[in-house]
Amino acid sequence: MGFLDNSGDIILDAVLTDHGRKLLAKGDGSFQITKFALADDEINYTLYNATHASGSAYYDVEILQTPVLEAFTDNAGSVKSKLISYSSMNLLYLPVVKINQLATNTKMHTSGSFIVAVDSETEGTANDNTYAVGYNGGNPVAGIIFGESLSGDNYIRLDQGLDSSEISPKQTLDPDLIEDSYIVQIDNRLGKIATMSGDLVPEDYIDDDNIAYYTLDVGLVSQITDDTNAQSQTIAGPRGTRLEFKIGSSIDLNTSTFLFTQLGGESVLETKNVRHIDSIVRVTGMKTGYSVDIPVRFVKSKLT
Amino acid sequence: MAESFYKSLDIGKDVANTRTLLHEAIPLTGTIVSGTYADANIKNYAHGMFQSVYDYPYLSSSANHIFDITTGVSAESSLYASVTTAGQKSKKLNIYNQMAQVLVGYDHTGSIQRFDEDGDILAGGTKIDDVIFLNFSRLLTKDEIKKGTFQLTLGANATYATPMSKTFHITDASGSDGYLVNSPVGEYGILFASQGTGTPLHASGVNAACGLLFYQAGVCALTASIFNDNAAGGLLTTKCEMNSATEDIEAVLTGSNIDALGDAFRHRINNLQFNNTVELNSSVYFCRINHNEYNYSTNPTYLSGSKIRVKTQSSDLPVSYITTVGLYNDNNELLATAKLSEPLKKSSDTEFTIRVRLDY
Repeated sequence: MGFLDNSGDIILDAVLTDHGRKLLAKGDGSFQITKFALADDEINYTLYNATHASGSAYYDVEILQTPVLEAFTDNAGSVKSKLISYSSMNLLYLPVVKINQLATNTKMHTSGSFIVAVDSETEGTANDNTYAVGYNGGNPVAGIIFGESLSGDNYIRLDQGLDSSEISPKQTLDPDLIEDSYIVQIDNRLGKIATMSGDLVPEDYIDDDNIAYYTLDVGLVSQITDDTNAQSQTIAGPRGTRLEFKIGSSIDLNTSTFLFTQLGGESVLETKNVRHIDSIVRVTGMKTGYSVDIPVRFVKSKLT
Repeated sequence: MAESFYKSLDIGKDVANTRTLLHEAIPLTGTIVSGTYADANIKNYAHGMFQSVYDYPYLSSSANHIFDITTGVSAESSLYASVTTAGQKSKKLNIYNQMAQVLVGYDHTGSIQRFDEDGDILAGGTKIDDVIFLNFSRLLTKDEIKKGTFQLTLGANATYATPMSKTFHITDASGSDGYLVNSPVGEYGILFASQGTGTPLHASGVNAACGLLFYQAGVCALTASIFNDNAAGGLLTTKCEMNSATEDIEAVLTGSNIDALGDAFRHRINNLQFNNTVELNSSVYFCRINHNEYNYSTNPTYLSGSKIRVKTQSSDLPVSYITTVGLYNDNNELLATAKLSEPLKKSSDTEFTIRVRLDY
């Protein structure tokens, strides 16, 4: 007589995150666990081999052998790629969020990231770019966002939808898959999120690691109505929404070189000597959870 | 985030609170407290009111404080009048009163009560007026000393130079099935003496009460008469020489300071052991994952373009692999995380209940 399978119930020991400990110490009732989520941070789905010669039982054999890391307590670094529930089990495509660099004023700089000029001396003007990097030959340089004045045409645009040429862009995207709002994470010591007209957006909160969280929706998110195969569209299939924003520089970067010395380095940009800090701005769709990391370099002219 | 990432826990059905008691064995051999480190692990203070024992030379950052030794003499003690100024008369009285007010408390008039040999304070009876205190570190006792596990073995040979030729045990033998609760600091048991090697105990000293053990406070209060002979009211057949000057315990109590008495006591510690108790309170969260939930992933590698990698056609079952469980509050702030030992395959033909335990 065999033993009954008792493997259906799994027991795990949890560790408090640094933020959890902080709320527990506050003792104001904010430490109240009310929900859970699942994640697969360590999984590399490219290891899924749907053509394995031995059959479907072996498709995921490499994934199942993935060693799992211990829990760590940094709330910003844990549970990053969540599992998600959709009512339909027949989805073959899921929407992605892509940086749209097809217009001159939404391109990254040729150095491979978006550049934020943190003060007016670095921004310069069409007539004066002695030490500035914002203009070249009287024309704005693509990929350089003016972080102090928040003027200029350059900005960051992200498009969302099914990026597959196997489905016509004229097909309608399921409303459950269309993002209405996005969460943006940015290092609060370095920059802030601004609208296209240059107004700063209030952050939702700043965590213990100085990461500011913004919810961007009305005014910054709009439906993509172009359902053609136009050159300006980066999503090949059915389209959802686009997100457009600028990045303003923090007061610390605007007025001081301290953080540049501490966190950054020096380089040459547009033939000018600058101090720089490299960072990441993460944009995550609220509905689908798809996220994209945008490389951003904050620069300050050395005035030499 | 959309609610499709998070699943609410029903506090009534999905959360259970449990309490677990964990025990550790704490063995302290006599050589650690007297000899191994040539007293470099013994810390004396300018105030001279107690002596601290470490498990390693205390100037090292690796050293852990394990217990303190001090002495108290009651104003009601027959020895009190004989205690000299050099013997720290006032400090021994202060120590006795301080420990008594904390461990025994006050009577209805507000007067400090004395340590009672059998714990029956109302009945009067024999009081313990000359006390050697062992105050154990929280590091050792944790939440409390486990009842019925305490054993102190003392050297009882009369000669100072060879104290361990004869030994006797002091245990809280009754602790496992009987203890007292009339102390303001929780439960305590009565300590009894029993023969070790060489039968040093007088017949009347065998199974005699010789002190109190306060379990939650982590304090052992021993009557100093344990080193005295039966004729002088002690437990032994022959009293012990407590120092190289061959003084007995009464002479040390009255004429030597607290540090010297601590040295004398450590010289006769053969072995000390007990189990501690940690009270572990846990919340268990039952994360119930239905067949139609969490079958897709937001992992950046999950898609190729926009196509799901683990499906070749839309009728294939979606598959995901669970490695992490996150616990959140209403504001979707991550409060705790738990990891599986290996990826757990989730598809629409499987359901799981993952029990996540959070200890406090």
